Amino acid sequence: MIGKHRRELSVAAAYLLVLGLLGLFAPQFFGPKPLVDFAVRNASVLVAASGMTLVILARQIDISVGSQASVCAVVAGLLARSGLPMPMVGAGTLLAGAGLGAVNGWLVAGLGLPSIVVTLAMLVILRESLRYLREGEFVRGLPSDFQWFGMGQGTGQWLVVGIALGVFAAMAWGMRYLSAGRAVYATGSDPEAARLAGIRPRLVTFEVFVAMGALTGLYALLNVVQLPAVDPNTGKGMEMQVIAAAVVGGAAVSGGRGTLIGTLIGVLLLGTINPALVFLGLSAQWEKAIQGGIILLAVASDGLTRGSK
Amino acid sequence: MASVPAPSPSIRLEPAQAILLVLLAAEVALFSAIGTNFLTLGNGFEVLRLSVEIGLLAVALTPVIVSGGIDLSVGSLMGLSAVIFGTFWRDFGLTIALAAPMTLAVGALAGGLNGLLITRLRIPPLIVTLGSFSLFRGLAEGMTGGVDNFTHFPAAFLFLGQGYLPGDIPSQLPIFLAVAAGFWVLLHRSTVGRSLFAIGFSPEGARYAGLPVDRRVGLVYVLSGAISSLAAVIYVAHLGQAKADAGTGYELLAITAVVLGGTSIFGGRGSIMGTLLGLLAIAVLQNGLRLADLPAELAGVLTGALLLLAIGLDHRAGRSPGRTHAATTTLPDDEVMIVKNAQVAVICASILAAGLIVGGTNVYLVGSLRDKGPTATMSPASRTLPSPSLEPRPEARQLTIAMMPKSKGNAYFIACRKGAEDAARERNIKLIWDGPTDPDPAKQNDIVDTWITRGVDAIAVAVENREGISSVLRKARAKGIKVVTWDADADPDARDLFVNQATPRGIAEALMDNTARVLGGKGEFAIITASLTAANMIAWQKEIEIRRASKYPDIKLAELRPCDDLQKKAFDETNTLLASNPNIKVIMAICTPAVPGAAEAIKQSGRTDVKVVGLGLPNDNKPYVHEGITDTVILWNTADLGYLAVLTAQAVVEGKLKAGDPKFEAGHLGVVTLEGDNVLLGKPFAFTKENIDKFDF
Repeated sequence: MIGKHRRELSVAAAYLLVLGLLGLFAPQFFGPKPLVDFAVRNASVLVAASGMTLVILARQIDISVGSQASVCAVVAGLLARSGLPMPMVGAGTLLAGAGLGAVNGWLVAGLGLPSIVVTLAMLVILRESLRYLREGEFVRGLPSDFQWFGMGQGTGQWLVVGIALGVFAAMAWGMRYLSAGRAVYATGSDPEAARLAGIRPRLVTFEVFVAMGALTGLYALLNVVQLPAVDPNTGKGMEMQVIAAAVVGGAAVSGGRGTLIGTLIGVLLLGTINPALVFLGLSAQWEKAIQGGIILLAVASDGLTRGSK
Repeated sequence: MASVPAPSPSIRLEPAQAILLVLLAAEVALFSAIGTNFLTLGNGFEVLRLSVEIGLLAVALTPVIVSGGIDLSVGSLMGLSAVIFGTFWRDFGLTIALAAPMTLAVGALAGGLNGLLITRLRIPPLIVTLGSFSLFRGLAEGMTGGVDNFTHFPAAFLFLGQGYLPGDIPSQLPIFLAVAAGFWVLLHRSTVGRSLFAIGFSPEGARYAGLPVDRRVGLVYVLSGAISSLAAVIYVAHLGQAKADAGTGYELLAITAVVLGGTSIFGGRGSIMGTLLGLLAIAVLQNGLRLADLPAELAGVLTGALLLLAIGLDHRAGRSPGRTHAATTTLPDDEVMIVKNAQVAVICASILAAGLIVGGTNVYLVGSLRDKGPTATMSPASRTLPSPSLEPRPEARQLTIAMMPKSKGNAYFIACRKGAEDAARERNIKLIWDGPTDPDPAKQNDIVDTWITRGVDAIAVAVENREGISSVLRKARAKGIKVVTWDADADPDARDLFVNQATPRGIAEALMDNTARVLGGKGEFAIITASLTAANMIAWQKEIEIRRASKYPDIKLAELRPCDDLQKKAFDETNTLLASNPNIKVIMAICTPAVPGAAEAIKQSGRTDVKVVGLGLPNDNKPYVHEGITDTVILWNTADLGYLAVLTAQAVVEGKLKAGDPKFEAGHLGVVTLEGDNVLLGKPFAFTKENIDKFDF
């Protein structure tokens, strides 16, 4: 059991260490307000990182999610401004994401192109098209029911966290107990064996990309409802963040190995570093170095313990 | 499973290379038709000069990818190497001749760290280099605080990046060619290269065949590290400065060039020749689009499309067996997709045809627009007008003014652009508006260089990077192009006039004075900045600190946090600041998206004792100003700034305005005063509750 979840445990240990440091030197981090902020801030990241875990489990990668999120954010803003009711806006945003994911999925599963190249191209294409069309202008003049789904900050915050946790729990349960979830593991472990077992690996791969797109749409939605105007750069650069969270949490880029619980711990750990540095009074200039160091340490410790066996 | 593919002989072209050659030919044909001064020797060399740094990375990445690996850290390592090189030279007092090899050694060491983690600990290269991607850039930022900028390198060293050898050959070109040749020999003419193909094809097989897999793999990462450092040294010479943001985003461009060149991302197949062709295809595309006055975003979109097209055409079943491959290449129910030569030819022909159609419609469009008379030709959307040099107009020659914002995709510059377009329409000027689309500080230089080749009457630049851009602006002036700077200045001898909306000092004093007023002369505040390395932010922060230290010693700067120019990140950072330090009473937001982001965080936290003072657009901030969360927003009339910059450039070209003139009649702005070589727009304006509704931008 311990051997099987070694990575999850070593990352959890690192997380507890950071929490311990915070408890010693900056106990105000554990106040109600910072904790709520932390939960709201990382809710959307958890959603996207869960999607990325699926993609990585299926032996693929999607580096276009940041650009997808920007497109979805602008779509959400424009739909809301056109006067659609909020549930329709949400559905439209998720659909837009799923559509973008389907393009990736078709290129990867349908045409058999390598996902890293396909999504690298999509990253650039989507980002540049969006910039050309919007020139970075905020989507303003949104209706009052846009922010926090029109429910006010208190309820809205819990709704954002609740949706994210609900989606995460459903996915974690499904990956373990549903045949669809096992099919993703099977496809990622050995596509040929999966096919012989009656699974259609190409279809699974396609569906994984569509799910990633829809979850990216949800990521964008959960982000933009926190603010009254939509930033067209929403999600820029988040691909690195969610890929890092997934791999730090133990998802193997060779596919078929990893859990969503591990991803949750990865999100928690990486999400804590930034506020922790502020609370500990450390300068922003070392933040990237510390982040990179922690990623390398987490994966290296895994490699070391595995090597010593 | 087939045998290890033979190293690609240089004579026989692989399909990928054939496709690229056709593509290059199509690009050249197209841009010769629609670009200005595209097909000239000088432009050819300029394209090569601008591709040297990315080319070095791409060449070094080719063996990495051939061996089945990837190195995402090369761009970040360039930043780290630039900073280390600067430190060796300036702080340790080493000569350039000593500092450069030592920097290369550090780069090799950093590459060795990647190699060690990959080979010893068996961690996938993607993850290792994802970590070192953050680590190297972070170390560079940490060592310099993002702020420190090493400049004033000796001229002999700058020659390496900016000079010309006899025959107008850019001086860094021979170095690049030597490195490329070296890698060609290594990969295609040596046992090491052969073993790399074998390792990429099947690492286990290579191991059983007795190859020293770990040593070979380690070597390619060491080489990639050393070459990244070499690229950094050349980059420093090219730009004249060494800063932590060198090479930002270069890794993706380099990987794109490698993959476009037919190297399989799964390893086992690839060639240096292909990489060079891929690099050229991208560089020519960028350069040609600029010379055809098409927007920079199109280059990105087309590069992405090219990548998809090339990889799609090149895709052949069963070419990428091995360990960690994407499911699809081994998906059993894949139909065998063999792209036949005939299909390649058909697709290439259709690309060519599409290109010709685009070119043809452009020519047609130009003709039809000209028929409609001058008013129809003013908008910068109709970018396909013939340049004045090709089509001299019998009556007054239409001026071409090329105008560059600090970056595209920033709301602040949209407002400037509107004013600039008004001026162009009013004065019958052809306005080219283009700028960098990514945070690469070298991009502005590239664009100015291309404009020099294209031939314009005047260049108006909002300078991102003073030390970096001045050399290329001097070059423009030497070629008879008038240069005006706006928004932020270059070195005084690098431009004719500066359209000064507010100096960094003026902005900083307005921000600090208003902050002090809100604080009542005592207390703590925090700054939310765009990034730790952006040149304008650094200038403002410096002036803010000077003002604070001299006039408000009782006020303390508690924190400085970057928000990556994102509203959401500014919002999150403000939340953290409010919770971590209750003494902070003012958030000073000095980049456009941060002002509403910070205000929203304060609003949601319910803290009525904290205010925002910011530098931003009135429309973004009206609600917060009215609610009393944002106390003051500092800015000038951005549309007027764009308008004035165009009129100034026109007057300079027509010889009606020069430094030292007392005043200048600027269209609907009325009479504008000059102070020396600065055209003054006026003081920065403070938008408050009382006046903000009068403005709409």
